[in-house]
Amino acid sequence: MKMDISEQDGVLRIGLVGRLDTPGVDAIETRLTAACVPGAARAIVDLSGVEFIGSLGLRMFITIARALSRRSGKMVLYAPQGFVAQVFETASLGDIIPVRPDAAAALAAVKA
Amino acid sequence: MGSAAPPESPRRFELTLPATRPGFALGFDELRRGLDTLDLEPRARFSAELVFEEVVANVLRHGTRPDTDTRVSVEVQLADGALRLTFLDDGLPFDPRGRPDPEPPSDLEHAETGGRGLMLIRSVSSSMEYQRTPEGQNRLTVLVRGQQRGGPG
Repeated sequence: MKMDISEQDGVLRIGLVGRLDTPGVDAIETRLTAACVPGAARAIVDLSGVEFIGSLGLRMFITIARALSRRSGKMVLYAPQGFVAQVFETASLGDIIPVRPDAAAALAAVKA
Repeated sequence: MGSAAPPESPRRFELTLPATRPGFALGFDELRRGLDTLDLEPRARFSAELVFEEVVANVLRHGTRPDTDTRVSVEVQLADGALRLTFLDDGLPFDPRGRPDPEPPSDLEHAETGGRGLMLIRSVSSSMEYQRTPEGQNRLTVLVRGQQRGGPG
């Protein structure tokens, strides 16, 4: 699981590449939480390189997004592909964490 | 010779992993190598990995005993276009059938963090059978939707 984090105009841009199965979540959850939560970040997360996600990956995003919302931060996910997008739909996650088709739409949503 | 196509020969593999985080990672690699040999269409492939992820994660979270090393055996069988995954573990009894899905979340604050694993299994499977064996093992058999690449619709 690869994770790149950069900041531009006050927005954290996080790119994830690989598999968000249990081993993948174990590999990034602590770093991702530390990058986002203490600073109450506004963060957009590129999921276009994520080829697999299970319930533990969903749980990670819910936990971080909730911690952010309590601190007036925000997380927006974007560009999930194929079966990964279907997992988000099955879990109705888009109702509570914004999921957008591309980076521009995610940026607009995270600044709203 | 009749016109019916010859029956597809069943193909299978099995693996065993310790119910630990390192065991999970190694077992998942082994599962994926095994699935490579079955030439599945992409949806069935993803579904098989999703079922494995959720079932094994459940055993790790809820099924292990503190005083023994729990192991999970997985048999994957492709026969007549159907993909069947059978999980056998010697952990605590756990029948996942009939567990309710979490309520659809109304907002982030009230969203349940867990409970979505079984919902995801149901979404990609056509049947799920559970048995507590006389030997004291959990046996869970999941039939995955989808089939072999180029197989019948």
